[in-house]
Amino acid sequence: MTVHSGPDRSRENTVLGKPVARRTVPAVVAAAAALTLAACSGSSGEPEPGASGDGGLTPVTVGVIPIVDVAPIYLGVEQGFFEDEGLDVTLELAQGGAAIVPAVVSGEYEFGFSNVTSLLLASQQGLPLKVVAPGNLTTGEVGKDFAAVVAMPDSGIEDAADLAGKTVAVNTLNNIGDTTVSAVVDAAGGDASKVEFVEMGFPDMPAAVESGQVDAAWILEPHLTRALQSGAEPVSWNYAEVDPNLLIAAYFTTEQQTAKDPETVDAFTAALKESLSYAEEHPDETRAVLDSYTEIDPAVKDAMVMPRFTPDLDEAQLQLLADLGEQYGVFEEPVDVSALMP
Amino acid sequence: MSRGRPLAHRAVWLGIAGVVTLLVVLQVVPATGLVNPDFLPPTTEILAALVERVQTPEFWTALGDTLVTWITGLAISVVAGVVLGVVIGMVPFLRAATASTIEFLRPVPSVALIPIAVLLWGTGMQATLLLVVYASFWQVLVQVLAGVQDVDPVASDTARSYRFSVLARVRTLVWPTALPYVMTGLRLGAAVALILTVTGEMLIGTPGIGKLLAVARESGAVPSMYALVVVTGLLGVAVNLLARALEHRALFWHPSVRGEVL
Amino acid sequence: MSVVRSVLYAVGLPLLLLAAWWVATADSQSPFNPPLSEILATFGPTWFSGDTFADTRFVQDILPSLGRLLVGYSVALVVGIGLGVLIGAVRPLREFAEPVLEFFRAIPPPVMVPVLMLFLGVGTSMRVFVIATGALWPILLNTVEGVRGLDPVLKDTARAFRLGRWGRFRRLMLPGASPQIVTGARQALSIAIILMVISEMFAAKDGLGFSVVQFQRSFAIPEMWSGVIMLGLLGVLLSFVFRIATGAVLAWYHGYLQAQRGGA
Repeated sequence: MTVHSGPDRSRENTVLGKPVARRTVPAVVAAAAALTLAACSGSSGEPEPGASGDGGLTPVTVGVIPIVDVAPIYLGVEQGFFEDEGLDVTLELAQGGAAIVPAVVSGEYEFGFSNVTSLLLASQQGLPLKVVAPGNLTTGEVGKDFAAVVAMPDSGIEDAADLAGKTVAVNTLNNIGDTTVSAVVDAAGGDASKVEFVEMGFPDMPAAVESGQVDAAWILEPHLTRALQSGAEPVSWNYAEVDPNLLIAAYFTTEQQTAKDPETVDAFTAALKESLSYAEEHPDETRAVLDSYTEIDPAVKDAMVMPRFTPDLDEAQLQLLADLGEQYGVFEEPVDVSALMP
Repeated sequence: MSRGRPLAHRAVWLGIAGVVTLLVVLQVVPATGLVNPDFLPPTTEILAALVERVQTPEFWTALGDTLVTWITGLAISVVAGVVLGVVIGMVPFLRAATASTIEFLRPVPSVALIPIAVLLWGTGMQATLLLVVYASFWQVLVQVLAGVQDVDPVASDTARSYRFSVLARVRTLVWPTALPYVMTGLRLGAAVALILTVTGEMLIGTPGIGKLLAVARESGAVPSMYALVVVTGLLGVAVNLLARALEHRALFWHPSVRGEVL
Repeated sequence: MSVVRSVLYAVGLPLLLLAAWWVATADSQSPFNPPLSEILATFGPTWFSGDTFADTRFVQDILPSLGRLLVGYSVALVVGIGLGVLIGAVRPLREFAEPVLEFFRAIPPPVMVPVLMLFLGVGTSMRVFVIATGALWPILLNTVEGVRGLDPVLKDTARAFRLGRWGRFRRLMLPGASPQIVTGARQALSIAIILMVISEMFAAKDGLGFSVVQFQRSFAIPEMWSGVIMLGLLGVLLSFVFRIATGAVLAWYHGYLQAQRGGA
């Protein structure tokens, strides 16, 4: 008789074990096969680019992020501007450039929304992107902007120059956040190279600042209001201080899309520009449309500052961000901004 | 039933006691100010937000989407993992030849594949499925391989000397030996599949609980976000219970299960 | 098996796959799927260029990541085996803890890490914690299974020989469950690597995972793929070390299997 050690591999009951295995395995295989077929054959229901939708409207999908910056396009869809231009727009919520840019490049989305510095980076890496319209701009008002650097009152940080030697949270490294903060630190007489930037999502910043895990944070609305409500104070309005006309983000498409279907791109651009103007002229409606795609608390929604929207796209704005990025090491070589312009 | 009634009741009560302890801790810590309640709300606030959520139809649609993605990904992983695992495990040449490749591919995080997934399949269910399958397949495969290799050599020789066909050997010898390992693999794979499903929904934007979570997070709607986190956690508990129930049915002959009757 | 044969086995399939990848992407225009030649060309400059060796990404990013990985993994091993034996042996504890543990395990890292940041800050301890708690699971589960699956005859024998708790732990449970524990530890290794990457996606300043994510964000796609390859290489290297380390631990088991093969 052999003595077994280790896990007991009782084989006396193999006969009993068989029926169970025999029932389970084929059932699992059949189920898996059915599900696999369903998964591979079914699409997620997204409209085919270029095909005609109901009533002759061209279906178009736009990838956006659930943030305040894209309120104008939601408003425009609500107001029917896109329908007037013959477009049936579907707005798909994604979580950032990592998801939106590949989707636009592959043609899954016709258009997308992204911050300009990321678009410059992508363009420089050879991705064939084209900006079609501005997304949002700074309000230009120091003291009343939708982005600011905040710190707790007892942190000893009074102005931008004090940020040298401190940890500052930004949402993405080597992007518009740390470049504009570096710019204001230098402008205030501090040494930007001594600022320690840490990457963190905006939603996590109010807690990190309040508990002292970071000394300061560059935050956007609605989290800016949340941070201010928890006791933090603004140290610098970096967007407004860098340039009163600073362009933050833009709507974009690909060269292929522009070449393949210029009418749709023109129609989309026209409707989008109208939406942007309308949004700027009707701030209450813009604020109200936030409820349709975000869950921002009503109290925060009323207190927060909205970005500025304009229909005009200027190459100089892109150049400004390119220069800023080059100055602070985001781009190793000068960026050809004209490649992005429509 | 392989368990006596009093023992089963004790398991349930103890489990509930564990959960209640957690809820109490979660109520006390923010309420006493150890953590700012704006950032980690107490249990009562989270439950209130959860009750609100549950009453919206979009919550149930999202839940359905998450479950479908999860079960599809898991099914693919299990079938592929078991089939490949048994085949590779039983053929020494294949085992040796694929060992380094498996060790190379396993530690690559699914999140690194997001751009490719989105490029190929956009932001629909299939993109998240790539993440899910890639992650949970390895869980199952490695366990199956270990199980197949654990076959008692004496029994293996006996089967061969009785000229059992390959299929018969698999059925009577390899499968029962590997089954405990497979069940562990199933449990690990199911949990990983759920995590990646929700993660994929959060990072890619595939419809589901994860997407709702991401929107709540972006909006700073903290109690609502934690309500969804609770839902995700509950899903994990449910998945585990399901896996355990399956394991009990499949392994009723194994000492680990039988031992609990005594 | 001779050294030559083991080397051939180790590199055979990978070389085949690499060749296939090379050919398949040779003319690729897709920015997200660059030719393998490009990826390999950036490999050296990305990781090994710098004024001094200390400046290279290898030292600045990979070594710190590796350090955190090893610490987290060690913690997971100790806690996983310890808890696993305890929970596997003491049923009421398992029943108490399991729902809560499964609850936390299901919460995806992108959500869990920000919550952990509230308690653990943004530094190394948070990252080690993330790695440890994730790598814990396979070790814990496999240890529990290993202990639960012990031959009841052996358990009775141990009791008959009046082996105390510690004696039972050392001579019965650990060796008895060790094949399964080792399986779990192997699983945990690759999970630890994955979590190392994920933990560096939040509030990080350096690391291999951090670099990969930064490359992804700045659309430096060939560099990103080189980072992914680096992760795979790390996995192979660690698993090789693991095999050597556990060879000693499981020598008795392999010997037992060998003896069985030789005839009982």
